[in-house]
Amino acid sequence: MIHVRDLKKIYKVPVKQPGVWASVRSLFDREYREVRAVDGITFDIAAGERVGFLGPNGAGKTTTLKMMTGLLHPTSGEVSVSGFTPKHRDDAFLRTVTLVMGQKQQLLWDLPPTETFALHRALYDLDLRAWKESLDELVELLGLAAFMDQPARNLSLGQRMRCELAAALLHRPKILFLDEPTIGLDVEAQVIVRAFVSAYHARHGATLLLTSHDMDDVAAMVDRVLLIDQGVIRFDGSLPELARRFGSGRRLVVRDAHADFSSIGLTRAGETWEVTVDASDINARLSAVLARSPAAEVTVSDPPLEDVLRKAFGESRPAAAP
Amino acid sequence: MRHLLRAMPTLLKVSVARNVAYRAEMTIWILTATMPLIMLALWNAVAASGPVAGFGQPEIARYFVATLVVRQITGAWVMWELSHLIRTGGMSAHLLRPMHPLWTYAVWVATAIPFRLVILTPIILAVGTWRPDLFVWPAPQQFALFVVSVTMAWITSFLVQCAFGLASFWVDKSDGMFESWNAVWGLLSGYVAPLAFFPAAWRPVLDALPFRGMLGLPVELLGGFLRPEDAARPLAIQAAWMVVSFALVMTLWRRGLVRNGAFGS
Repeated sequence: MIHVRDLKKIYKVPVKQPGVWASVRSLFDREYREVRAVDGITFDIAAGERVGFLGPNGAGKTTTLKMMTGLLHPTSGEVSVSGFTPKHRDDAFLRTVTLVMGQKQQLLWDLPPTETFALHRALYDLDLRAWKESLDELVELLGLAAFMDQPARNLSLGQRMRCELAAALLHRPKILFLDEPTIGLDVEAQVIVRAFVSAYHARHGATLLLTSHDMDDVAAMVDRVLLIDQGVIRFDGSLPELARRFGSGRRLVVRDAHADFSSIGLTRAGETWEVTVDASDINARLSAVLARSPAAEVTVSDPPLEDVLRKAFGESRPAAAP
Repeated sequence: MRHLLRAMPTLLKVSVARNVAYRAEMTIWILTATMPLIMLALWNAVAASGPVAGFGQPEIARYFVATLVVRQITGAWVMWELSHLIRTGGMSAHLLRPMHPLWTYAVWVATAIPFRLVILTPIILAVGTWRPDLFVWPAPQQFALFVVSVTMAWITSFLVQCAFGLASFWVDKSDGMFESWNAVWGLLSGYVAPLAFFPAAWRPVLDALPFRGMLGLPVELLGGFLRPEDAARPLAIQAAWMVVSFALVMTLWRRGLVRNGAFGS
């Protein structure tokens, strides 16, 4: 479905020293710096996969997404999406994909979203029945009925984002590129967006590629993770594999309001006691907990995704040159 | 093209809705573009002591009322839209749709013409009431040529604005370049003075440049200053510049997309 081979995007960025003399000099002798935003990445994504594209700011995630949607032309390498070369922007390709960019609006600002939906029907050349069927489904899944006839400028950010999603999916794309789709949304809106994306995937078997800094997005919407940093893929695997590779152990959570587990190394976190220990130590620690409180409610899990990723980004970078 | 024709009713409907939503802004825009009326007053005073290059006071009034009409018909704002979209990354949403974004802008700008003419009507009526003897209706053939010419003027003006807007792929502020172009256009298109006022030696050059075809030529046809039998050559030059503008915009578009940084998002 998606094949990426040795993909590179290198920008030439003008460099200007401060000061008047530097400004004058830059008129005649402009200096440039090379920025390797994406530096030779290779991966494949099968139809129907849900993939999280994770990395710190400036890692190259969005640049890669833009190359996969044809917005950017690669410096070198190959991208094939559903058999198309994205940079050629064939109409058939554009009908196959969608890119949702957090807070970037395609809604007509001074008109109700219904007008944008009608416009998209014309732009994507959808027949009336298919468009209506798709719109009805999106209105139901995203709960748009109450506000989609108000001018977009009068909607809350969460309402606008839901309408943006509807506009982006009216043509029922087979491949969804979601670039930080929940950024800036309140918790309720985030939950709605996550549930919607999962429901859309389940109904239509769409392929999903998501970038996000929100680990709840990742946990809810993806099965596989591509870790990118400094333009290079550092990890490619499932979420449990990620936790095993970069998680430093297992997380033990005990719910018991009466016992005190501080003497065996657990720390109180509200109504629970918690500790993250090496996998080889988990049985001993578990025995110690149950010895103190046989009726305690105990959970053993992977460490929080945030901790895993923090560690992953730290460990995956090559050591700095001396 | 069939896709475009099928999309046209919706494009028109949405574009009209957008123009209605921006009606206050558009009214102000139109009322601030009344330079021809200022020029009318100025040249009318000059012509009080005798005709200028064959233009007496009635001809001056007729010329600048026609200029006002043509200017409103050919007015566009696509340069600022494209420049803004390219600089802020807003172009990305347009590039993801399977229809060239310039079509949606062309329809949006074209659907503003009736609004502009409605707002213009009271001004023209006021001038007509002041001097009803000034107006001479063009002959049918002259009017038909005017329609052809003003259509080409609209297309060329739109494309030239697109070209400056697309320059934002390369330069940060293409609107500054457009303002410089506009100053030259104002002088050489017949906007501030009929081209007949320029020295005779300049005319071959002025006639060969694109500016006359963007305003002066349709004004001359609407005002009855150019006989139909003399219109073939200027219309051919106008058509040639329209084709050149189209080729330029397509080239800038193709190369701009390669250069596109999709800034912001």
